[in-house]
Amino acid sequence: MYGRSWKPMKFAISLLLAVSALSVAALGAKETVFPQMLRKLVLENGFTPASELYFNPDEGLVPIGKVIFESKKLSLNGNISCQTCHLAKFGSADGIPNAAAIGGKGEGPERLLSGAKLLPRNTLPFWGRGGKGFTTFFWDGRVDFSDANRFSQFGSHPPSEDPLVTAVHLPVVEIREMLDEDQFVSVHKVESAEQAKEVYSAIAHNLRKFEPQASESLASYLKKPATELAFADYARAIAAFIRSEFRIRETKLERFVKKMATLSPQELRGGLVFYGKARCVTCHSGRHFSDLKFHAVPFPQLGFGKNGFGVDYGRFNVTFDSKDLYRFRTPPLYNVQKTGPYGHSGSVATIKEAIIAHFDPLQLVNLASMDSFSRHEFYKRMVLSQEIATTVGFLSERDIMDLVEFLRALSFES
Amino acid sequence: MSGHGSKLLMVLNVIALVIIFFYAVKELATPFGAEALYRDRYKELVFQCDNVMRDHFISKNQVLAAPTPKAYQQLRAAEVGLLTCHDYDVLRKKLIALGLSENRLAQIGLEAIEERAEDVRTFVETHEIRY
Repeated sequence: MYGRSWKPMKFAISLLLAVSALSVAALGAKETVFPQMLRKLVLENGFTPASELYFNPDEGLVPIGKVIFESKKLSLNGNISCQTCHLAKFGSADGIPNAAAIGGKGEGPERLLSGAKLLPRNTLPFWGRGGKGFTTFFWDGRVDFSDANRFSQFGSHPPSEDPLVTAVHLPVVEIREMLDEDQFVSVHKVESAEQAKEVYSAIAHNLRKFEPQASESLASYLKKPATELAFADYARAIAAFIRSEFRIRETKLERFVKKMATLSPQELRGGLVFYGKARCVTCHSGRHFSDLKFHAVPFPQLGFGKNGFGVDYGRFNVTFDSKDLYRFRTPPLYNVQKTGPYGHSGSVATIKEAIIAHFDPLQLVNLASMDSFSRHEFYKRMVLSQEIATTVGFLSERDIMDLVEFLRALSFES
Repeated sequence: MSGHGSKLLMVLNVIALVIIFFYAVKELATPFGAEALYRDRYKELVFQCDNVMRDHFISKNQVLAAPTPKAYQQLRAAEVGLLTCHDYDVLRKKLIALGLSENRLAQIGLEAIEERAEDVRTFVETHEIRY
């Protein structure tokens, strides 16, 4: 009796299983179309796994570089180190709109309110700096080794063939940043690389005196007497530390692309907006999600500005080419979630606002409360941002939130 | 009526009520609920699909005018952007499956146009025959 009744039951169960399997297969097919499409788009646009981005010619200098990076004796006459403005808790930046540099106390917002001298620009984070393909430094690209010309303030004789080492040379001699204006600085404050050598020599002397252990280790590594250590040697050590400490690590996006991990539906939609109608990929492409080129985006201006009275001409200050007015280097996007506020003057607090600045900048400003000159300046920035205006598509609130979620998939823990 | 007869009648009444209930849910409540739930999203997608189609048209013409790598990159992005129209199509089919008629969807689509129309010209452009 059991044998007779079991047969139709078995058939029914098999049928159910077959139907279930077909349904799952159909659902599976439906689910893989868009992830596959996004994987292809990510790879087509220069994605490189984190392990392939890391490059450090001076790995052995990392521990010494850490000491120098954290040393306030890098500042010839002030009380500030690299670490003062590049903090882990603010995603390797300082968490405030305009950098609060020399003369302050504490970190981040506390430093801002402590009477520190303000710099006209937002502190840049360090993620991926000096990694493979990262050749252009600072908001205005004042160190740019992207081609054979190797542009920097040092003319045809940069202190190093390594763009990061050359970049490390700049903040320490920037008045208001890590250098206060005293009598010694006043004498050497000229646009001359030769005069700057005196300042570098004084900083190296300072470090030899106050960081003797690190200096001895550096001298030993470089096989030269400690008395002959130059600032360029310390800069090599700092660069080695920056490369190691702020290297790009595996992200959720990498696991999605390379290990077939899943993204949430919102992240997936955001990715398709990034490579699709938002056209973020026009500039945010390549190994670091940046073309490392210069574009004008009409962000609101906050603070005094590099050119004064709320004006910042951006790249123009480096090239004096009117085509470069208001242009800034495309920000790389790794860990962007952690590096707010955003824009060259830190004028927007959230990634959402930073996205809005690209396609609906008027939403971010109160034109009626702006003075006439600020409105005039904003108008010029908008007109000269026409490349972006005609590229980035209109985005709905949902598109923006999806994009924000996708950008979170570019984060990693260090 | 015998006891069996009245029981049968009661069962038939219950069955009829259940059928009427499910019919009412399917034909009235579901379309009504679906429209209330998705109406705004549908209108948004009507507008967005139109917008990305225009972007795509512009990108195609840019490639024809000057076939540079950047123009091709923009066209590729515009093609991916057309996924918004896929979202529109999916929602449209979903609403039809939930009982909304083609006529009702067309009406909601027209309302989406109407909300952004500023003058009579908009309506003329929507309805005029173009040779």
